[in-house]
Amino acid sequence: MVDLVWFQLLSAVLFVIGLYGVMSRRSAVLIVMSIELMLNAVNINLIAAASHMEGTGKFSNFDGQLIAIFIITVAAAEVGLALAVILRMYRNKSTVNVDEINLMKW
Amino acid sequence: MSPLSDNLELLTPEFALTGLAFLVFALDLFLPEGKKRLLAFVSIFGLIALVVVSLVMLWDEEESLYNGLLAVDAFALFFKVFFLGMGIAIILMSMDFVETRLKHQGEFYGLLLFSILGMNVMAQSRELLTAYIALELLTFSLYVLAAYAKDSDKSNESALKYIIVGAVSSAILLYGVSMVYSTLGVTKFDDIAIGLAQATNVSPALWVGVGLILVGLMFKISAVPFHMWAPDVYEGAPYPVTAYLAIGSKAAAFALILRFVLEGFVPAAERWEQWQLVFAVLATVTMLVGNLVALAQKNLKRLLAYSSIGHAGFLLAGITVLSATSDLPSNGVMFYLVGYSITNLVVFAALISFFNMTGKEEITDLGGLADHQPFLAACLGMGLFSLAGLPIFAGFTMKFYLFTAVANEGFLWLAGVAIFSSLIGLYYYLNVLRQIYIEPTPTGDNGGDWLEENPMLAERPSWSLITVLASGAAAMIWLGVYPKPLIDAIEAASRALMP
Repeated sequence: MVDLVWFQLLSAVLFVIGLYGVMSRRSAVLIVMSIELMLNAVNINLIAAASHMEGTGKFSNFDGQLIAIFIITVAAAEVGLALAVILRMYRNKSTVNVDEINLMKW
Repeated sequence: MSPLSDNLELLTPEFALTGLAFLVFALDLFLPEGKKRLLAFVSIFGLIALVVVSLVMLWDEEESLYNGLLAVDAFALFFKVFFLGMGIAIILMSMDFVETRLKHQGEFYGLLLFSILGMNVMAQSRELLTAYIALELLTFSLYVLAAYAKDSDKSNESALKYIIVGAVSSAILLYGVSMVYSTLGVTKFDDIAIGLAQATNVSPALWVGVGLILVGLMFKISAVPFHMWAPDVYEGAPYPVTAYLAIGSKAAAFALILRFVLEGFVPAAERWEQWQLVFAVLATVTMLVGNLVALAQKNLKRLLAYSSIGHAGFLLAGITVLSATSDLPSNGVMFYLVGYSITNLVVFAALISFFNMTGKEEITDLGGLADHQPFLAACLGMGLFSLAGLPIFAGFTMKFYLFTAVANEGFLWLAGVAIFSSLIGLYYYLNVLRQIYIEPTPTGDNGGDWLEENPMLAERPSWSLITVLASGAAAMIWLGVYPKPLIDAIEAASRALMP
């Protein structure tokens, strides 16, 4: 079985890529995609931890998988909301470039 | 282990609140345009009934539901009544605004009720996943409410900023949860405390996990350096929603933090001492930055946003000194939350009333308000005095109580910083007051007379806003003069959390 630490490494890398995407992307839609990447990094971490702890006696629960399922559901709702807001933005301003969304500063 | 269906009747208020929210959504489909005001009354009476039901059913209950996921105790009851009462005030405040300036009124009240449900569950949850779901129920409703003025560019922008920052912060919080889970294998607060206390050599993964959970929560209460979203979101959102953001979401997040810290950290005394320093630094930076940047603000909503950041700093100072031996700090934090919320309700009710009349939200627009609207001006003035922490108002007793607790626990320097930053706050609160009472009435936008261009200014504020203003001002003075009854209730609430 692959060591747990590799999964954690994968998840950390994905999370950081997502965070980088949020900070560097200009299009609101791509920012939302980067957030999805961050959430899926969390899922990998949780599921890997849950399946590795199984049978060691220390952890006899499915909490990890359960939380992952909840996160998938919540993330879907979150994307729905975010896209609705972005759509509204596009109707009003004909752009989703976050550099041009700058009515309010400081 | 108790079966999951035991004692389900203790969740009656939550089920009933869900039902009420759906009822409002359903009624909205059948009511003709122009009768939508009825929905506000349905919500208000529903909430009043729920306050009564909660008090009768849950008084003196001390139970743990769903195998320890949800707590039904005095702490949860205290915050439940607090949130429901605040919901009533917010609905009263928003009725006129929603009717004249927003479309789709029914959903507004429905979403408001759902967010109150989220706050109630947040104050009850004793487990990370439950807390997260409740938090998301609250913030998702708030995302939609912030975007409610569909055709306003500012409202759109504020919602977009809120949703992106909110989603990133919950992703950070979840990553923290996953790290804690993968090192300890638990998500319940008390199990985390046991894990923290037992680990002689705490692994870095656990530190990272706990730290990221705290970062996620700090985003929600807009502590510096995670505060950048707050002023923009507050400025762009519709006025009642701004009030709701400043009062409700902040109080709920602090309820969660109180329970998380008291049940998950404080029992592991050695670790908590290390974390106290982190909290102290965050509190210091938050108080100073919030109050200093507020000095430069010209827009009322932004001013109140920075002021709420400053108040979050004071509350964080209270969180810093939480301890297993004394209930003074947790009492102080809860008392501060109540006093701050009531004061802010009065300030926002007065400003919403002013906005309804004129549609203006700059500080300079308030000039001469005392001549046209003496009652509004007096309420706003009292609210500002209270926010600044001057005696005979709630603001003084709450600050006195909290800072005493901070100093008592040996963080004298933190209490000093807190007092210094509330002195800074005095300047910008009194600046608004000067505008109201001393500065002359500004000339209108088209160069004409201010009163002629804003004819509504000569009329009386609506009865719903007067209700909120009068009862809020009375409560503010009552808490400033005789806070004993409230403190008794708060002591009972914090005893429920004490280890």
